[in-house]
Amino acid sequence: MSEIPAAAPRTFVVTPGPHIRVAQTTASIMWWVNASLAPAALWGVLVFGPRALAVILASVAGALAAEWLGNRAMRRRPTIGDGSAACTGLLLALTLPPLVPWWAALLGGAFGVLLGKTIFGGLGFNLFNPALIGRAFMMATFPVAMTAGWSAPLAWLPRPLDAVTTATPLGALKEHGLEAAVRLISGPGGIQGLALGLRPGSIGEVSVLLVALGAAVLLARGIITLAIPLSVIAGTLLVTAFSGAPWLHLLGGGLWLGAFFMATDYVTSPVTRGGQIVFGLVIGVLTGVIRLWGGYPEGICYAILIANALVPALNLWFRVRRVPEAGSPS
Amino acid sequence: MLAPAVRTFGRGGIHPDPHKQATAGRPIEDLPAPAEVRLPLLQHLGDPAVPAVKKGDLVRRGQKIAEAQGTGVPLHATISGKVKPIDRHPHPTLVLAQAIVIARVADAELPPLEFPEDPEWRALPRDEMLARIREAGIVGLGGATFPTWRKLQLPPGVEVDVLVINGAECEPYLTSDYRTMLAEPRAILEGAVLMARILGVREVAIGVESDKPDAARVLRAAAAALPAAGVAVHVDLVQTRYPQGAERQLVFALTGRTVPAKALPSAVGVVVQNVATAAAVHDAVRFRKPLLDRIVTVTGPGVREPRNVRVPLGTLLSDLVNFCGGATDDATRIVAGGPMMGRALPRLDIPVTKGLNGLVLLTGKGPFEDGYGPCIQCGRCIEVCPLGLEPDQVSVRVEAGKVLDTAPYGAEECYECGSCTFVCPSQRPLVQFMQVAKASLRRQRETRSAR
Repeated sequence: MSEIPAAAPRTFVVTPGPHIRVAQTTASIMWWVNASLAPAALWGVLVFGPRALAVILASVAGALAAEWLGNRAMRRRPTIGDGSAACTGLLLALTLPPLVPWWAALLGGAFGVLLGKTIFGGLGFNLFNPALIGRAFMMATFPVAMTAGWSAPLAWLPRPLDAVTTATPLGALKEHGLEAAVRLISGPGGIQGLALGLRPGSIGEVSVLLVALGAAVLLARGIITLAIPLSVIAGTLLVTAFSGAPWLHLLGGGLWLGAFFMATDYVTSPVTRGGQIVFGLVIGVLTGVIRLWGGYPEGICYAILIANALVPALNLWFRVRRVPEAGSPS
Repeated sequence: MLAPAVRTFGRGGIHPDPHKQATAGRPIEDLPAPAEVRLPLLQHLGDPAVPAVKKGDLVRRGQKIAEAQGTGVPLHATISGKVKPIDRHPHPTLVLAQAIVIARVADAELPPLEFPEDPEWRALPRDEMLARIREAGIVGLGGATFPTWRKLQLPPGVEVDVLVINGAECEPYLTSDYRTMLAEPRAILEGAVLMARILGVREVAIGVESDKPDAARVLRAAAAALPAAGVAVHVDLVQTRYPQGAERQLVFALTGRTVPAKALPSAVGVVVQNVATAAAVHDAVRFRKPLLDRIVTVTGPGVREPRNVRVPLGTLLSDLVNFCGGATDDATRIVAGGPMMGRALPRLDIPVTKGLNGLVLLTGKGPFEDGYGPCIQCGRCIEVCPLGLEPDQVSVRVEAGKVLDTAPYGAEECYECGSCTFVCPSQRPLVQFMQVAKASLRRQRETRSAR
């Protein structure tokens, strides 16, 4: 009988501790953000028709293409799957007028990722929100389409290829006053159009209800907290309270989409609670100031970009207080 | 009536899945004496012990086989047998280290030493108690392995008024302290009172996490049955929250005192000892019984029959795992200690040492096997750090090669509880970044003071 050879001692994988972790990853967070934006995006397609769908697809495609190109150029491992580029593309599309040409959205998505993120060193290193960089780029490059590409709700249904341009509620408010704005939203959806989302506006901003639903999902999963969004909304209400139409400022623009989905971007917002509240208030106040006294009817995009620039300072000013060393003055 | 408030620490902390149900209900079982033990000369913080036996000597269980040296403690034979050549063997933290190997001889031929009770044990002078604790080779059994006699000998000028006994056991999976509290409440309390007498304190606070109310109840009953010794003992429930069992966090929960940064609990008049250490102190003072065994929780999805086992020190982990039904085929990692602060081991031919409170066998891929991503500045590490440190700032500076710029973010204060790494969505090894920063900062300070 032959002897059975002794089995080689079993070896195990050695990795540093801790050896357990939460299930959440950067990629899972990004995909949850995308998923919670989906209802508002689908609503936008329903209200504004196939041209809105084309804008969304083009913007996401542009962002993904730029991410791929950036990975190649910097010889980094592919990051398309982490959902962050898709998120940039989707967020950008949701801030766009529905009648913007699809190729402009494609360029916007690509520039947002390349100029907003890749050149800073990729995810985590960018100072400004890439989606809003994309939007600012488009404002400068396609000013007409970006300020006149608005469509009346459900206007695509009778004649799918014919576009009916109109103004947004905030645009009407700025140009022609409160009455014009009220007339605009008491169109097909009646005054309830504001709550239901049957009004002219950006693709993803029109249904405040569905934006709030998506935000509730992110809150429930602990992906975002209320500190930033509430201070944004509070700041805007503070400035617009005596403008005669605070409710229009609250519901008639992109405030909710910006407050819950753009201002809360981890990379471009402060890390501590105190910093987050100041950051949110700055955005809210600037949004109101731009809307009331600035050159644009909507101000949330530039308000967030300006506040993004304050983040490094806010992180420095609002640091966690540590336990002091013995004998040090406290 | 309102339930008494459950105490806890201030900021930070996490709530990992406890995973304690596999072994919480299992009483401590004795591991049959193994065929061989390997006893490393260094199983504690301090100087290694010096062998007092040589190849071929016959030793009895309980007999001293290595003498204490400097800041260290002595070592005892944990089985009766014949000493094999002293050589270097695998060690859980030192990779390879000198160890005394004993091959078992049947107890009938070489009976273990007996440890009769000293009738005067309650009235011993302080120095005699300390000497017995040192002679017994006792070190912090919660995992830190700091020699207990040194921790009980305060430097001149330092005064303490509270002894905290740590029964929090906040690491997931582990139940060794819990089962010890249920099995030996009397020994724990007697040991605590002895240590209180050594330290000259009149208050003993025992902290038990709120998921172990029965342990607290058993300890309270034992405390009520203690003979009056001028020491007030109270058992308090503390919130089930990681890292509740860390010294700073437990001291705050039980006494409301904040230990200053970079200081020991004695700075605020507190000494902390683990429950198993207290029981060992009792055995040492009352019976002159050295530390020969320890309770180890063998658990996790990678072991067939999770158990709480009383193991002779020096037993190979392979013998211990075999006693628990062996590792499953899909076990990929073994962790010495708890899964938060424990250390992964590459193999099982490593001995059980004094600091091993658990052996957790895990399946699947570990957190860092697929690499890690950039910091996305979500702020979660800052939120969960119980010390309010900034692991994100430390990590990006270490990555950028600016290791010495990490000091303002508290790298040196980190005690590596791992909460930051547990929550990091980019799966960054933040504890390791902290370690790198800490080591560099220490080196810099040392070279500066050497000049």
